[in-house]
Amino acid sequence: MADEDEVKEYRWESGYEKTWEAIKEDDDGLLESNVAELVARAKRKRAALKATGAIQLGMMRHLFVVVDASECMFLQDLKPTRFLCILKLLELFVHEFFDLNPISQLGIMITKMKRSEQITVLAGNQKKHLEALQKLKDLSCEGEPSLQNSLERAMSGLKNMPAHSSREVVVLFGSLTTCDPGDIQKTIKSLKENNIRVSIIGLAAEVRICREIAKKTGGSYNVLIDDHHLKELILNQVQPPAVAGSMEASLVKMGFPGGTISTNDGTSGSSADHAPAYCLCHIESETSSLIGNSGYNCPQCGSRYCELPVECKQCGLTLVSAPHLARSYHHLFPIKPFIERAQTPETTHCFACAKIFIEADTNVYQCETCNQIMCLDCDLFIRETLHTCPGCASDPFTAQMKTN
Amino acid sequence: MLELKRALDAKGHCLLEMPSGTGKTTTLLSLIVAYMKAHPHDLTKLVYCSRTVPEIEKVMEELRKLINFYEKEIGMEQNILGLALSSRKNLCIHPTVSKEREGKVVDGRCYGLTASFVRARRAADDSVPICQFYEGFDAHGKEFPLPPGVYNLDDLKEYGQMKGWCPYFLARYTITHANIVVYSYHYLLDPKIAEVVSKEISKTSVVVFDEAHNIDNVCIDSMSVKITKRLLDKCSNSIQILETTISNMKENDSKRLEKEYKRLVEGLRDASIARETDMALVNPVLPSEILEEAVPGTIRTAEHFVAFVKRVVEYIKTRLRVQHVVQESPAGFLRDIHTKVCVDRKPLRFTAERLASLIRTLEISDLTDFSPLVTVSHFATLVSTYTKGFTIIIEPFEDRAPTVPNPILYFSCLDSSIAIKPVFNRFQTVVITSGTLSPLDMYPKILDFHPVIMTSFTMTLARPCILPMIVSKGNDQVAMSSRYETREDTAVIRNYGNLLVEIAAAVPDGIVCFFTSYLYLETIVSSWYDQGIIDQLQRHKLLFIETQDAAETSLALINYIKACDNGRGAVLLSVARGKVSEGVDFDHHLGRAVLMFGIPYVYTQSRILRARLEYLRDQFQIRENDFLTFDAMRHAAQCLGRCMRGKTDYGIMVLADKRFSRADKRSKLPKWIQEHLKDTNCNLSTEECVQISKRWLRQMAQPFSREDQLGISLLTIEQLQSEEMQKKIQQRAQAV
Repeated sequence: MADEDEVKEYRWESGYEKTWEAIKEDDDGLLESNVAELVARAKRKRAALKATGAIQLGMMRHLFVVVDASECMFLQDLKPTRFLCILKLLELFVHEFFDLNPISQLGIMITKMKRSEQITVLAGNQKKHLEALQKLKDLSCEGEPSLQNSLERAMSGLKNMPAHSSREVVVLFGSLTTCDPGDIQKTIKSLKENNIRVSIIGLAAEVRICREIAKKTGGSYNVLIDDHHLKELILNQVQPPAVAGSMEASLVKMGFPGGTISTNDGTSGSSADHAPAYCLCHIESETSSLIGNSGYNCPQCGSRYCELPVECKQCGLTLVSAPHLARSYHHLFPIKPFIERAQTPETTHCFACAKIFIEADTNVYQCETCNQIMCLDCDLFIRETLHTCPGCASDPFTAQMKTN
Repeated sequence: MLELKRALDAKGHCLLEMPSGTGKTTTLLSLIVAYMKAHPHDLTKLVYCSRTVPEIEKVMEELRKLINFYEKEIGMEQNILGLALSSRKNLCIHPTVSKEREGKVVDGRCYGLTASFVRARRAADDSVPICQFYEGFDAHGKEFPLPPGVYNLDDLKEYGQMKGWCPYFLARYTITHANIVVYSYHYLLDPKIAEVVSKEISKTSVVVFDEAHNIDNVCIDSMSVKITKRLLDKCSNSIQILETTISNMKENDSKRLEKEYKRLVEGLRDASIARETDMALVNPVLPSEILEEAVPGTIRTAEHFVAFVKRVVEYIKTRLRVQHVVQESPAGFLRDIHTKVCVDRKPLRFTAERLASLIRTLEISDLTDFSPLVTVSHFATLVSTYTKGFTIIIEPFEDRAPTVPNPILYFSCLDSSIAIKPVFNRFQTVVITSGTLSPLDMYPKILDFHPVIMTSFTMTLARPCILPMIVSKGNDQVAMSSRYETREDTAVIRNYGNLLVEIAAAVPDGIVCFFTSYLYLETIVSSWYDQGIIDQLQRHKLLFIETQDAAETSLALINYIKACDNGRGAVLLSVARGKVSEGVDFDHHLGRAVLMFGIPYVYTQSRILRARLEYLRDQFQIRENDFLTFDAMRHAAQCLGRCMRGKTDYGIMVLADKRFSRADKRSKLPKWIQEHLKDTNCNLSTEECVQISKRWLRQMAQPFSREDQLGISLLTIEQLQSEEMQKKIQQRAQAV
């Protein structure tokens, strides 16, 4: 291990990374090109899978992110270290997650020294999580991780969540070993009974137990190739998953705190709503318990919150604002997957980005409704970010149809 | 398949190397069954020899699938009878006998219940116990043959239970008319057993030896005898029992002894008429050489024979009282025994036969006590029958403990072709196959036969699922090698340790390491312990070690599997040529990496090996070094092949010895490994090796589905029939 320490010091000593090989076409015609192709295909497959409509989505998600903080997270195969790289990507993930799933909740845990620690509790407030992630950067990684302990802890947190929400755990697992106190099979079984979906992203190699957990609980298991791939894998978790089927459909009681215009004091809203009060989000943190008259009041019990969405601590009501719901709305009307077809001379450019097709683009994608042709990148962009087909939107007829 | 068909057409023998998990068994079975259906006159029977009971069961499963497929496609019942045969221990359904654990005890007790004289006694006296299942079989089983189908061991047992027939004898009887027989090597190679079981198999059969990379050793073992002091002491005891039984019988029933005497005068021929159950002791020599003559007069009467055996045993005892190592030829031994105790060659040759006859006459039903005496009789017969290809070595002590007197007489077969020759001569086609047979040209030489086809196949894979690497130096550039001179070098041992630790940190789940010997394993582990390498290792994975104790090893294996299943990860340290390297598969997560520490040369100081090498040099013009390298590399390949069990599997193979990169070693690896062993991966240091493995493991972990293989290593019918593919196949066929 003495060697290891030195490696940590000097980058050039670990420098046997033949980066040029990643772009080199293999002379056997087998190795890298083939794998790259597999990845591209998998990418497309995932995109297509997501877009298949008419399934129930677990839009109200309760998600625990478990980050491995064991010794191996100090390795430098991701820059600057695995741990820092992961934290950075997680910040992005948290941001994206709340962007796409405004009525969901997130919690962060780490596992090291054969134990697991909770960093943030399940909450719908992204600021808290981002702060916690910032703090984690100074954490030292040591010991072995424990899958079982962290899954048990996540389970105890998720067990009592309402049945209509989807319960998920995402594990970012760098280690190749797990040090568990008992039989992990039992844990897997109870995870399954509790309808908790565990997805795992491995940072080094395929570990069988991870694959087994993911398979049995209905999650996914992926191993990264490089940091770009990792980013993609993490962001894949942003999309709400399809419901396994057993989840009950129910009406959810929600509160829409009214009168949120709080900046200009006293000019709007009733005085009761904006009387100075402790904000319940901060009342526990002794340092900054601010008294203010801005914020949102729970329509049921009148507690004050400075940010939405949140679950009322007094009465348990979910408080959201209308725009949040609207942002979740597009999940319900996913655009149909584009048809993959071979590139023909007639199709000269991508409708969306006007890129001229070259020889290398073997496949182009066509929208079923408006018959416009897109390139692969636009296809993915439309699917992941835009959520609306530019072809259909620009065609007045189809746009009309959609709104109806 | 093409090659196999050619061999069948030519009615010749063939040697095929096919990587494991590529459908070797299915290919063999389906082609041979199809051939049998197409040419029912040229080919009547398939004899499939495998190594262990689980392997036999696997073959039966494949066969069942094949027959079901036939039935589904053709839509009618197939008139094919396939069955598996194993020892009494695995087939017995007798309520008490089947509870016995040891094979020998089961055999003995079965003999005690089913021998013809026991049954004759039963006819007179109802209190004598017999086996009702055998009675059932004897009464009805022979008239009604087994209906067509595939019977594995459990099916046979079930069928036996249902009908009340003994499955073992039913199977033995059915062999004669079954189309496909699956059993262990020994039923064909060991002349002692082959004579009883496989005598009736017709010439127009195909014999397949699966996993046959060690076939020469099996041949040699079946013809060799080892006699220790303890064994001789036990012999004296059993001779005494014989004496008392004879004198008792003389008083009570002297007629029987007389009858036996007369029979012996007439010759041994009628011995073969003896009932099948009485064949508990058999002649170790090949049949035709001995049965022609009558037993010589000197040992015809029972007392004379016992006195004769006594003399032989006493003589061997005196020979064991040596102070130094003696090596002599069978001829020298015979001359010596003649001058010292006046024992001629001819009666010696009949010892085994005569002993069997005597035991039969004396109606001794418990045979287990006599096994030492039987061993000695085998020795006597063998030594007087064969003068060539054998040697006798008497060692007064073991090499490891020169102070402890522990005299052992080795009667060692040097020529592996002796035992297998009758098989080659008798059957029209013999197929020898395994995952690791390279270098192929060695086998025809040492087994002394002429194959018509000799091919090594490779795998067509959609992704590079094995990663062989030769690691020749540590991070400090000190060369790694298990050479005798550098064995004790701490730098080498440390480098081996570092390699293992780094690999353990980079590879998930299970890692299997092979050392060259138990001794080397022990020294390395103890110095790793001193250097703190074991501690480092245990941070990543749990550590298990194979020992010479079978029970301990299987316990270690169970826990190893458990550790891999639970995700803790484990390292198994084991020994090439040990139990683990031969019989245990580490598929998928159980063996993500195999490390080979050093080249597994056989212990070259052993006198038996020396004698064999000398013999090979004189008789077959095989240089000593060639044979040693061949032997070492086939074991290395065998160890490496443990981790690769099919197309969806993947594994790293690390050969940690500088000498592996030499052309003579590298070229002796099987073709399917060589194909993936690139020049750039042949002279790596530890860290280079770890870097390459890490990247490779990530690639292998990417999702891999059936569609990805389609068109490359899996073909649909349309693809198979497409013109392009046909062309490819043609090219392949011509290239071979």
